[in-house]
Amino acid sequence: MSSGIQERSDVDQIPVAKRPATSPPPRPQTWLLKVIMAATGSVFIMFLLFHLAGNLKVYLPDDPQGHFNEYAHWLRGLLNPLLPGSTFLWIFRGTLVACLILHVYSGLTLWIRAHRLRGRHPRKVHATKHHLIGRTMLWSGLIILTFIVFHLLDLTIGRVVESKQFSTAPTYTLTHGATTTEVTDAYANLIHSFERWPVAAFYVLVMVVIAFHLSHGIWSIANDFGATAHRVRSLILLLADIVALVVVIGNASIPLAVLAGVIA
Amino acid sequence: MRLILEVWRQESPDAEGSFETHEVLDATPEMSLLELLDRLNHQLVDNDQEPVAFESDCREGICGTCGLDVNGVPHGPEDNVPACGQHVRSFADGQTVRFTPFRAKSFPVIRDLIVDRTGLDRIIQAGGTIAVDAGTAPDADTLLVTHDDAERALDFAACIGCGACVSACPNGAAYLFTGAKLAHLALIPHGKQERAKRARSMIAQMQHEFGPCSQIGECALACPAEIPLVAIAAVNRERLRAGFKWRKAN
Repeated sequence: MSSGIQERSDVDQIPVAKRPATSPPPRPQTWLLKVIMAATGSVFIMFLLFHLAGNLKVYLPDDPQGHFNEYAHWLRGLLNPLLPGSTFLWIFRGTLVACLILHVYSGLTLWIRAHRLRGRHPRKVHATKHHLIGRTMLWSGLIILTFIVFHLLDLTIGRVVESKQFSTAPTYTLTHGATTTEVTDAYANLIHSFERWPVAAFYVLVMVVIAFHLSHGIWSIANDFGATAHRVRSLILLLADIVALVVVIGNASIPLAVLAGVIA
Repeated sequence: MRLILEVWRQESPDAEGSFETHEVLDATPEMSLLELLDRLNHQLVDNDQEPVAFESDCREGICGTCGLDVNGVPHGPEDNVPACGQHVRSFADGQTVRFTPFRAKSFPVIRDLIVDRTGLDRIIQAGGTIAVDAGTAPDADTLLVTHDDAERALDFAACIGCGACVSACPNGAAYLFTGAKLAHLALIPHGKQERAKRARSMIAQMQHEFGPCSQIGECALACPAEIPLVAIAAVNRERLRAGFKWRKAN
């Protein structure tokens, strides 16, 4: 007599419970990659806020061109005479590039790991804000990466996508009492670039993408740094949206103001 | 009530698997989703067909044995309720209900709707236990735990290990599960003795089989034990804390 169980041919195939792995986990470890993303992301947020403060000089009522160009000139000679010439600027740029490489590397590695562990059947999801933005962080990140290249070519290096009038020659005269300095007219470069409407539209669009990336990114930073206190988490959740809004309103308004003729 | 059930059938772990459609004509609104499957199985056995394999035990939401995706949602349409506590009344008469096994690469299908969730057991084996000689019961007031800590520890201890968080996660991450255990044991006196060691070993094991967290929050919406989302932050908090404790257990 044979019972049903003995007839089953697949009994051998039922997985036997394995012991925990004794080998080291995949390197770099997932939690560490998340911490790297959070740390480098924090650097970018601070950079963005300082960058925004500089940008907003175009709205100064009294001689915005002078203020903006003076600020751009000050950046190049930061920490002079302790560090000669643009040494600090290059250290600063090097740090940002290193952070960018680490951020992109961690993001892609995590994305690949997540993708491999995705299951077979389709999932119905809650249409929460963090779902919609969180799932598209890789794509918004790639758009931002493209934008960084574009932005550097457009207003820093002046190649390929720059405006016809772009110039790094010292054509603007800064006056401080009796002393005068010839500096690059960064203000004019900005105006000329944004007078091209497709470029202005691209900048505005990317700022919206950055705002989305930020609002989820700041929330992720809190989690990746292990913020578990209720009040801290609520505060950061609120702060995430405020920072995102400030960045998008502050930056995206500049190309719009140029197009509208408010700044010239 | 008439319901059309689309059920995932898979002979064995290596078999291809496909959907089978059945009609249940005598479903009632107060039936649980598991009772609906029981009803279907009676029908299948009556017709000399193989019943659908699915897991269940206590059927009152405390064991964590039941676990399947219903219309693409872990446990069923209601948030924070296990499959045994979800009812047919969530569906309209004549609606199609699709049953699939928990979705995650880390949960391979054993048969039909049964998946292998031992990956979660291996995380617990790696350190989700207390290996401290606690001796005999101490005097009442020698181990002081504040009421707040006790309540919070119990909130995290509520995890029934069903695996819905992993199935809900688009990345197949087990952060809510691991974080709940880490946070729970970090709050109570006996658990504190091996706090750093536990964080290192459990998180290392978690990374072997489960994905990274993207702070999306689907897990906490699916969790039938209502583990709060803060558990995902506890994973990195405990691991970062352990990183500053060179070689020490606690």
